[in-house]
Amino acid sequence: MSIINNIEKYVLAEIVGVLGKKTIDPDEDLLEQGIIDSLGLMKLITFMEETFSMKILDEEIIPENFQSLNSMASLVKLQSQA
Amino acid sequence: MDFSLSEDQIIFKKSAIEFAEKALNKGVKEREKNREFNQEGWEKCAEFGVHGLSMPEKYGGLGMDIMTCVATMEGLGYACRDSGLLFAINSHIWTCESPILKFGSDYQKDKYLPGLCNGSLKGGHAMTEPDSGSDAFSMKCKAEKRGDRYIINGAKMFITNAPIADLLLVFAVTDPTKGFAGISAFIVEKGFPGFSVGKPLDMMGLKSSPIGEVVLQDCEVPEENLLGKEGSGAAIFNSEMEWERSCLFATHVGAMGKDLEECIRYVNDRRQFGNPIGKYQAVSHKIAEMLVRLELSRLVLYKVAWLKSQGKRAPIESAIAKLFVSESYVENCMEALQIHGAYGYSTEMDFEKNLRDSIAGKIYSGTSEIQKNIIATMLGL
Repeated sequence: MSIINNIEKYVLAEIVGVLGKKTIDPDEDLLEQGIIDSLGLMKLITFMEETFSMKILDEEIIPENFQSLNSMASLVKLQSQA
Repeated sequence: MDFSLSEDQIIFKKSAIEFAEKALNKGVKEREKNREFNQEGWEKCAEFGVHGLSMPEKYGGLGMDIMTCVATMEGLGYACRDSGLLFAINSHIWTCESPILKFGSDYQKDKYLPGLCNGSLKGGHAMTEPDSGSDAFSMKCKAEKRGDRYIINGAKMFITNAPIADLLLVFAVTDPTKGFAGISAFIVEKGFPGFSVGKPLDMMGLKSSPIGEVVLQDCEVPEENLLGKEGSGAAIFNSEMEWERSCLFATHVGAMGKDLEECIRYVNDRRQFGNPIGKYQAVSHKIAEMLVRLELSRLVLYKVAWLKSQGKRAPIESAIAKLFVSESYVENCMEALQIHGAYGYSTEMDFEKNLRDSIAGKIYSGTSEIQKNIIATMLGL
């Protein structure tokens, strides 16, 4: 499963919840639409750290890194290259 | 997992207890009555190294690890009767100094950290607003970029240290389309144009800790005083809260230990119906329950400190610790007062003051209800 699909599956199952969404466009702005709130982001970060064996620094928790599936996947890829 | 304190940590904790007993308790009752901040105590704590406990030596700190910070705060909480002073110092450390160290630029660290460590500068943060408390990220305070500065407009309420602060971390919305992710943090000095502080507020407890309202009216903040990047306000706030929930509440564990010792001494000395009252189960069970709450509070707090020392994230654990320690402290204060009867209710002793002070712990750093929300959300509920 690709990084994006992995994150999408988690967001749909654990964060989107009652909104009834079935898919998420990779560039869809999840922050602007209020799909991810502050507590949801905390869950998502824990998921990403465990799933991709990465450490997300507090300084990296900025909109550019979490606003879409693509931006989250870029963060994962960036860390795996480092 | 090893939560035991090292020999050095035990020595440091003991020296914090000796220091607090000698240097911080003179005139507590008068200051409480007059709602007066303990400036002398603040300076002595800075000299002892409390303000810079976790700060690198290059900024004048002691460079201590989190377990040593927790142990020291526990020692101070045990021996210092001026909980308002400890509250002010902890706000200064965890909501201003620590985020500047973690998120600040070299310029910001060089400019502010030495003064914050040596106590010549006082800090805090300004998050809560008249209409946003638990729903902190729904704030109305706005910051707009104009040229090389930000213009901030809004009001902040119940801001710890506001009446005495030289600088505050002010949280404001920079991008209203992004919700919580559109919030940024700014280092605002008291002398910046458009910054003003209202009168100190009279709260139920923590009376020696100045708390007030902050007004930002076209407040001009140089762009170099943006902390972190635009939009990182929520991350800064969450990071602050995790630290504060670990270290500030160590003072409560210390205070619970002191209260328990005083209760045990009292129930052994106080005789009614021919026996020390500690011989009656109605009383001894209260003491046993107080010890259970104290031990469990220490355990959850040390676990969070241990997780943080391993560089791990601890959102659930710090919420559990904050919730459990603050609620336990209130329960123990209630029991201590009840055990001492009319003496406990009297203002001549500290038990009624401790109870008033303890209640604040269920509200600041996120209410008990918010801690339960965090725990439930992290469990997928």
